[in-house]
Amino acid sequence: MSSITLNKALGNEAHRFKSYDIKKSLIETLVAGLLALIVFGPVVGVVLDGYSFNWQPARVAWMTAIVMAGRLALSLFLQTQTGQRLSHRFTHADSGVHVLKPDHRSRLLWIMPLVVLAALIFPAFADKYLITVVILGLIYVLLGLGLNIVVGLAGLLDLGYVGFYAIGAYGLALGYQYLGLGFWSVLPLAAIAAGFAGCLLGFPVLRLHGDYLAIVTLGFGEIIRLVLNNWLTFTGGPNGLPVPAPTFMGIEFGRQAKEGGTPIHQLLGMGYNPNLKFIFIYVVLFLVVLAVLYIKHRLTRMPIGRAWEALREDEIACRSMGLNHVLVKLSAFAIGASTAGLAGVFFASYQGFVNPTSFTFFESALILAIVVLGGMGSTVGVVIAAFVLTVAPEMLRSFAEYRVLLFGVLMVLMMMWRPRGLIRVSRTGVRPRKGVMAKVGGA
Amino acid sequence: MLTCLDPLAGRDKVRVSQLTDGTLIVDGIFLQQMVNGLTLGSVYGLIAIGYTMVYGIIGMINFAHGDVYMVSAYLAAIGLAVFSFFGVQSFPFLILGTLVFTIVVTGVYGLVIERVAYKPLRNSTRLAPLISAIGMSLILQNYVQISQGARQQGVPTLLEGSMRFSIGTGFVQLTYTKIFILIAAFIGMAILTWLIKCTKLGRMCRAVQQDRKMASILGINTDRVISYVFIIGAAMAALAGVLITMNYGTFDFYAGFIIGIKAFTAAVLGGIGSLPGAMFGGLILGVAESQFAGMVNSDYKDVFSFALLVLILILRPQGLLGRPLVTKV
Amino acid sequence: MSGKAKPFLVSTTLAAALVSGVVHADVVIGVAGPFTGTYAAYGDQVWRGAQAAADAINKDGGVNGDKIRLVKGDDACDPKQAVAVANRLIESDKVVAVVGHFCSSSVIPTNEIYADAGVITISPAATNPKVTERGLPTVFRNCGRDDQQGIVAGDYIVDVLKAKRVVIIHDKDTYGQGLADATKIELNKKGVKEVLYEGLTRGEKDFNALVTKIRATDPEVVYFGGLHPEAGPLVRQLREQGVTAKFISGDGIVTDELVSAAGGAQYVNGVMMTFGADPRNNPAGKSVVEKFRANGYEPEGYTLYSYSSVQALAAAFNATKSTNGEKASAWLKSHPVPTAIGNKEWDKNGDLKVSDYVMYQWGPDGKYKQL
Repeated sequence: MSSITLNKALGNEAHRFKSYDIKKSLIETLVAGLLALIVFGPVVGVVLDGYSFNWQPARVAWMTAIVMAGRLALSLFLQTQTGQRLSHRFTHADSGVHVLKPDHRSRLLWIMPLVVLAALIFPAFADKYLITVVILGLIYVLLGLGLNIVVGLAGLLDLGYVGFYAIGAYGLALGYQYLGLGFWSVLPLAAIAAGFAGCLLGFPVLRLHGDYLAIVTLGFGEIIRLVLNNWLTFTGGPNGLPVPAPTFMGIEFGRQAKEGGTPIHQLLGMGYNPNLKFIFIYVVLFLVVLAVLYIKHRLTRMPIGRAWEALREDEIACRSMGLNHVLVKLSAFAIGASTAGLAGVFFASYQGFVNPTSFTFFESALILAIVVLGGMGSTVGVVIAAFVLTVAPEMLRSFAEYRVLLFGVLMVLMMMWRPRGLIRVSRTGVRPRKGVMAKVGGA
Repeated sequence: MLTCLDPLAGRDKVRVSQLTDGTLIVDGIFLQQMVNGLTLGSVYGLIAIGYTMVYGIIGMINFAHGDVYMVSAYLAAIGLAVFSFFGVQSFPFLILGTLVFTIVVTGVYGLVIERVAYKPLRNSTRLAPLISAIGMSLILQNYVQISQGARQQGVPTLLEGSMRFSIGTGFVQLTYTKIFILIAAFIGMAILTWLIKCTKLGRMCRAVQQDRKMASILGINTDRVISYVFIIGAAMAALAGVLITMNYGTFDFYAGFIIGIKAFTAAVLGGIGSLPGAMFGGLILGVAESQFAGMVNSDYKDVFSFALLVLILILRPQGLLGRPLVTKV
Repeated sequence: MSGKAKPFLVSTTLAAALVSGVVHADVVIGVAGPFTGTYAAYGDQVWRGAQAAADAINKDGGVNGDKIRLVKGDDACDPKQAVAVANRLIESDKVVAVVGHFCSSSVIPTNEIYADAGVITISPAATNPKVTERGLPTVFRNCGRDDQQGIVAGDYIVDVLKAKRVVIIHDKDTYGQGLADATKIELNKKGVKEVLYEGLTRGEKDFNALVTKIRATDPEVVYFGGLHPEAGPLVRQLREQGVTAKFISGDGIVTDELVSAAGGAQYVNGVMMTFGADPRNNPAGKSVVEKFRANGYEPEGYTLYSYSSVQALAAAFNATKSTNGEKASAWLKSHPVPTAIGNKEWDKNGDLKVSDYVMYQWGPDGKYKQL
């Protein structure tokens, strides 16, 4: 009896080992190695130098070896129990919405005041570099929020978002150059102008969906950039335009007052501190970001926000329910665009200089990545993703060469792992009210 | 038009240019711009084929296709450098060797890209393959930039000399390279048309394009067919890569983006999903762009191409040779 | 005794630490230019020149006893990156001087930033007149100006080539268009009006439509204001379409890479360009040139201009016994500096008092010679 169980036990063990199909893994590894050799060999191994070339077999060998090792490991891992479970979960990635309890009080309610407090104290003991990084992060938060409305909430894939960004930035530069307008006067004007441009973009593309919409918006974004690049006499072309520093009720922030007013450091009696300009921009930007966050938070819960989400899920059902899809789409484009216009004004005054190379398609892709990684429709996710994607390149300055490569790899991997973004959209449940029916039921 | 092409006819198609100092020059400029346009257009057509076939079969815009073309340009330069290093000097062998090498390796690139970035996302959300494609495009650009350096690369001129046709007081000059490009592009498209219309592989591609589920029920390995389509598209882009590299002599790692968008415009212009549409659209776009640059302003010719794209997508999204899309509710 | 010894010991160690800190602090000089991208060839020239100069000066005792340390700032000839680089050089690397930038379109916005921080800048190659015309006291250039270059080119076209039909093309950049405009003004002054004036876009390769348009005007001379990545394909396509006009450009094509950009030496044969008198022929720098060649590098283009810029900075700092930008600037404007390319003197704007531009011609072997 015991020998039978022992044999069975041994048989089970043997059976478990046999489940590793070594031959299949080896073949897969060899195929992967061959493909890696063909793919990496010429481009990495033969480095062109003028008309001749240099031979670099070591790099190719390393890369092929890594690919083969990785493939072998993956192939073996996928044959284990845990591997099979993971791959099953992978191909059936969950979608759908996470529903919270009706009385759920978000933790954000007491995280927010802490964040605001930290943000207000922060400039006092941060150096200029850190402040500039945070300013850039906040600008991208603003951009991410705007695009989140268009792509995340309304489901309209906009690849030319950077065009509205450019309108805001050039609005400040051109307004200063030709009309003598300063930072404060341009801020609302740029938002309105960009919003108007959003409507202009939205109107012709009403009938388009999905990929076609994406390409048309990409075309619009590129047209704006090309016009800015080529219209030398008006926009300065590739050389760009200078942008004035912001003033605070006539007080300037430079070393020498250009407009004839008094520089702030003289007013306050301190030595010239180049940080002051950036602290000022930071404070104003932070307040604007808070305002936009609040507005967006309210909009999502208002009928217009619901209409956007309905549009994203199924446009035809949305129309048959009586929603005017023209108004819904245009409002999404307009509000998203005006946010970008605001961000553009801040970007221009932060950099002190605008030129068309800041508004390429790569920027659009970056903002789209922020929205997608953060989670379509999720505000918190967008804020986190914006900071991660702006701060990380600064940290990885030593890897500057590989920065964009890693960025691309990240995008591909994120799409495979979590296509709906890091933070999933959650909704608070609604408790049915005690109405007539309840009374009738209870009675 | 036929009288223009006959140099002996004596009647010339005159193109009068208004110059800044007021004098008027009479010559065969219009024809020269046509030649420019046709060369450019046939290359757009080759790349557009990749876009249109992929869209026809899985309904996805392969954003990384322009960068596959860019990789093939580098591979062409590498092939040329290696072959001439090993002593191959005669033009036919050199060009044939480079063509075969580039087409094969670029085909492998197409296959690998599809397997790595698109296949796992076939059942995912609508946005996922597009973003993955954008990510792939960035990866390709930077991979080449890091491996080969960020400078622009050059190839030595392979085919020198040109032919000149006199037209009245002016002339049209065609380099042998341009003639070679026109012929090679034509042959490439002819081979592809034969492949799609007359071979089993072509029939499978058309079947999967029409109805993927039904095709798989009937026993066609749809995964493999989709891979073939990517390989074919990449191969056509490789041909374009070799030809363009020969024509201009220089390129850099950013060359894929703009030409990708223009080729996509060509595909849409001709009717996306339709193979003759891609070729036809490419020629039309090339000619329109050259004439615009010549007659109006070469600054804004890219704006013109994009504006054309936007207009077509808004006014006639199915393109010239496509069929209107019907959405089922 | 111990009570008095302790504070004495502490103060001496502190003083020693301070002094040693002062003695061992490096003089950080930023070298800003295009180190990646299509114009990287020029960044290479500038870096090699600056590095050789720094090494030579350090061997001679450095600046005020401190060693020079160079920091690279890559702007890829793009104004936006240049602004970021300028901020980084000032904040993170804490430079006291900058050799750069290279492209005029990068120099103009960054000068404001450097001036704001009191950092002295000397550009080895930015030739646009606007660079020194904005009243910033710490801005210098170690090369000529485009208005001078344009005069030399215009005079050559009218007087030597006796051309009546001239086409002017530019690349819409500050430098390229500035140079083209300067030539245009000189031509017009001499009574020759250009038959075509148009711009092309940097980064493009296909100029066939533009070339056909040029051909329609039947030109004798095509003048191009721009850099070699565009000049190369342009001249090649001109020749391919049968345009035999002379191709003239400026100091933006002074690099061997023009040959590979054009697709072979046969296309650059006969191309002419204006540039300073060949710095390699200057007797003052003979030993420097020989050292470069011994190391296997031909100091073409801007290498020696960059070398002389670092020499000028070192001389100014040594003379004023500090690294203060404003003091050094004031000194440079009133004292000549002997450098590897001769004595250099600056006027009150920061321009060289004497600058020479001559005509060069490329030969069928792909090399250029002074005419």
